[in-house]
Amino acid sequence: MASQIHVNLSPAELAYLHASLSLTPPIRPDGRSPDQYRPLSAETGILPGTNGSARICFADGTEAIVGVKAEVEKTGRRWDDDTIFLEGGGDDEEGGDKEKGSTQQGGNKEWVELTVEIPGQRDDDSATVFLAQMLSEALLADGGFVERLKINRGWHWKLYLDILLISPPLSYPLPLLSLTTHLALLSTRLPRLKSEGDEDPFFDDDWAAAPYLYPRDKKARPPVTLLVMAVGNNIIFDPAKEELAVADVVLAVSVADVADRKGKGVEDEDMDVDGRKLKLLSIRTVDPPSRLTPPGVPNASNTAYGHASAGATQQKMPEARAVESEAVEGVWKAPRGGAKLAVMGALVQKVLQKGGVADEVLDALEAVDLS
Amino acid sequence: MPITIHPPKPPRPLISDNLPSDDSDSDSDTSIGGVDLGLPPKKRLTQFTSSPYTGIVTPGEIITPDPQWMRGHGTYIPPQTTDITSSLAGTITRTNKLISVRPLRARYTPEVGDLVVGRIVEVQAKRWRVDVGSTQLASLPLSAINLPGGILRKRTETDELQIRTFFAEGDLLVAEVQQLFQDGGAVLHTRSLKYGKLRNGAFVAVSGMGGGGGVVRSRRQAWTMEGANGAGQIDVCLGVNGYVWISKHVETPAELEGGGKTAAGITNMEENVSATMYSSQNDKVDTETMREIARLRGVITALVENGLRVDEEMLNRGYHEAVEMAMVDWNGPDDIYLGGERGEMLAAALTGK
Repeated sequence: MASQIHVNLSPAELAYLHASLSLTPPIRPDGRSPDQYRPLSAETGILPGTNGSARICFADGTEAIVGVKAEVEKTGRRWDDDTIFLEGGGDDEEGGDKEKGSTQQGGNKEWVELTVEIPGQRDDDSATVFLAQMLSEALLADGGFVERLKINRGWHWKLYLDILLISPPLSYPLPLLSLTTHLALLSTRLPRLKSEGDEDPFFDDDWAAAPYLYPRDKKARPPVTLLVMAVGNNIIFDPAKEELAVADVVLAVSVADVADRKGKGVEDEDMDVDGRKLKLLSIRTVDPPSRLTPPGVPNASNTAYGHASAGATQQKMPEARAVESEAVEGVWKAPRGGAKLAVMGALVQKVLQKGGVADEVLDALEAVDLS
Repeated sequence: MPITIHPPKPPRPLISDNLPSDDSDSDSDTSIGGVDLGLPPKKRLTQFTSSPYTGIVTPGEIITPDPQWMRGHGTYIPPQTTDITSSLAGTITRTNKLISVRPLRARYTPEVGDLVVGRIVEVQAKRWRVDVGSTQLASLPLSAINLPGGILRKRTETDELQIRTFFAEGDLLVAEVQQLFQDGGAVLHTRSLKYGKLRNGAFVAVSGMGGGGGVVRSRRQAWTMEGANGAGQIDVCLGVNGYVWISKHVETPAELEGGGKTAAGITNMEENVSATMYSSQNDKVDTETMREIARLRGVITALVENGLRVDEEMLNRGYHEAVEMAMVDWNGPDDIYLGGERGEMLAAALTGK
């Protein structure tokens, strides 16, 4: 799926960018190190009418707001509801709901509704839909998230996530939206349940007593999607628009911390990095805009180049096409073909390794003051 | 540290308070002939105060109802009132009794003779449409470029057919504004050896005038500077429209032949120069130069993010400051990152605070 950002860079710029990003270590146009993110400013709790909200800004002015609203909803009962809520179903009679496998212990992906809004784009635009899909996929991939929304056998929370990009999309907004969603979910609180068991739910109306959706003393954290790209053998995180324009391969990697999942009895209280258990939730390839860029013309086949062109009247286009397929140093040529497996492997490895980027990002997000 | 997250900053104080008022160079108010207000920002104006509110105003906001003031750019007086009302979002400038509003962000307004960096967005039959950051696209007629080959020759139909071999969509070029239309649209020309297609470097767009930051018109918009840390010479081209091109310095044939011998003849020189005029193939740029080009780009972004003007003097000082900062940094001189806190440090060092 195309990332839909129209790049309008000249072949000379693209060739220069590609050359500087292929160096070891790469020189990024804004001077960041390969795994460095753009500096962010973040705050939470900005929308008083929501259960949780967050706002993140980049220094270049791109800004996103996410609001989370929760509603109590009756869980649709089915004739085999025991199996749905206890063992997680898996019956053949379940119609189109194939996702509901053994990994989902009593959750349904319809319990989360996620909308993405990007200024200047229709909300049924394929790029927007794809963004929303990637973000919701990260949330729903392993059913651990919807499991939290269950109140009892008859009732559940329905969560509405509204993701808004406020500024025009200066770069591919996926990392920004994902980080903001993560923060909003971290700050989400649901009213404390007073009723017990399977009675109709009855809540404490003291907002101060409302527990967090992701309790602070537990280690599990909502998923976060990182945008990673590769140029040559260099792996670059959080690419800016012009870097994406020369990418060989772009991946969106979703990870979550699942430290206290699977009934892990003892949870040590300290928030140690070593205690983190990262789980890879999904990988999506994003079609880099580099494939649609115009190729440069080597001097050898440029009719407007050199002294010979003085009276250049004859068309040299047939030769120009023949030369185009060979790589000439200093001339831009759009990358062709898929990604190398080794590069893809290294890319995922770099995200997931201990003390790697995902770890650092989750640490930094955790340090944000929740209000 | 791959990621830093800060709490949001409180709103930045206004430009007029930001810069020391005795520093006439850095105060952009004086450059347009205004006097420095030198007043602390006042509380929002009530109906009866006599002096106007200084601060950021939004469109439709009443600046002052007092008829003693005259309205200037960016303001209007609604009929049947005496209220000077802002028509822009910007800061108030007071020149004696004249009140005008300078927009926080404005598009570039072309003027004849401006050096601009532009990007081709459309190719038409006999002209190109060029994005120069203005409200409209500028146009570059085929008749306003130097045709390759040097000798002054007639434009032929073949040239019209091959228009894309000179400039195609996306190409960056440096040009001069030749004339203006009534509606503010600009016509460009590249009929000089200095102008033409850009290569061997990096592009950065900063907002034009307004808000104190951005590129300002000055004596020199394009110059060559020495790169630090073993890099070669670097060309900087500050388009008045806020588009900046930073590239490796390429010796022109005239320079190669030796400074003394410039009697190559105008036609001959033109022939040599125009040989590379429409090339889109980069020369070999060594790593050190690439690094310093990226550092310069970082300096420009840092200047803009911190609301400082971008011109030759500021950029030279900023660059040397950045090199010094990198020297003492524990990451070594190869670390060229100038975003976030480092950009603020750089700006603080430049403004002397």
